[in-house]
Amino acid sequence: MSRTFTAGLGMLLFLFFFTALPLGAQDPREEHLRALNSLSLYAPEDAGERQYLGLKDAPEKISLGRIEAEVLIVEVFSMYCPHCQRHAPDANKLYHALDSREEFRNKIKMIGIGIGNSPYEVGLFREKYDPPFPLFDDRGSAVVGTLSGIYTPHYFGLKMKDGSIREIFYSESGAFSDAEAFLDMIVEESGIQRGGNS
Amino acid sequence: MKRTIRAAFLGLVFAVLAGTAAHAVSESFKGMIYDNGPLKATDSKLKVRVGEQAPDFTLRSISGKKVSLSDYKGKNNVVISFIPAAWTPVCSDQWPGYALAQDVFKKNEAMVLGISTDNIPSLYAWTSQMNGVWFPVLSDFWPHGEVARMYGVLRSDGTADRTILIVDKKGRIRYIGLHSINTRPPLEEIIQELERIR
Repeated sequence: MSRTFTAGLGMLLFLFFFTALPLGAQDPREEHLRALNSLSLYAPEDAGERQYLGLKDAPEKISLGRIEAEVLIVEVFSMYCPHCQRHAPDANKLYHALDSREEFRNKIKMIGIGIGNSPYEVGLFREKYDPPFPLFDDRGSAVVGTLSGIYTPHYFGLKMKDGSIREIFYSESGAFSDAEAFLDMIVEESGIQRGGNS
Repeated sequence: MKRTIRAAFLGLVFAVLAGTAAHAVSESFKGMIYDNGPLKATDSKLKVRVGEQAPDFTLRSISGKKVSLSDYKGKNNVVISFIPAAWTPVCSDQWPGYALAQDVFKKNEAMVLGISTDNIPSLYAWTSQMNGVWFPVLSDFWPHGEVARMYGVLRSDGTADRTILIVDKKGRIRYIGLHSINTRPPLEEIIQELERIR
């Protein structure tokens, strides 16, 4: 019995000191980059959303790197989050601001991920706020189990290349009040070049 | 010595589990949440059963009015939502979702009664931070936990277990969901049960 305890104690000590502590000391963006690249999410079923994301022939589950974009704006939200509910109209404005800028429309894409939310819960949020951008659910709690240390809504600005997320250039919890100003910041921080249809 | 090893082992199990417990918290509650980590999943013994008449109760709501379960007899199905405590992670991430689903509850002729053993000032401040909720929030503070005890959901520390009961218009209990204190009950489960009794 005591041998079992000693073995178990040894294993836990190993996990605690060689896994948990170093992770805690790491740059959260590095940790989040790994987490976001490791996610496998159910792709939207809506044909228009699949086309927008370049997922026409994609399988049922995809990695975020599969999305066709140079820059991906990700709003991590929850239908249970009062702040996300209040912020929903501003998030919609961000998409419309993006859509109105022809030079970036096909280079910068935007999605929402309902952290810890089932398809039903994301569906309710969609019904209530009618977001014009694709929303992903978190069935299986893959996102809530992977992305730690964030508050909802949380925005990520991601640089994409060769089928994966290369860099998180923006990562902040909290809402913005001016969609145009937020988009200007995303454009500047990402260093994306202006251009027509790519 | 053996006892010391066992205590250390259990302590580490708790530390590792607490460190990996994942939950998305809204920005609305940033810096305001008391997170006591994972607790014993349930800590009470139900005193009611599906098919029985729901015991009537009268409690004061945060609006100052007294609300009785029998007020809704013949008019509405009632979803009784016992939550453990205000200003804690999972509870703060439960009722705002019910607020968003108001139309779905209405469609199913259902009223939600939110019950906590917290006092009225705490519940008022907490739900205000959620932007308010559309359903009555009732305090079972004094005599402490009397209604929770009557239903058999009072935990040994004076909080209530996370429990959903659905009472039909005839006052009969149609569904009881005694959920782990550490997880949020899926909203679709409640809605499916309501649709079943419509």
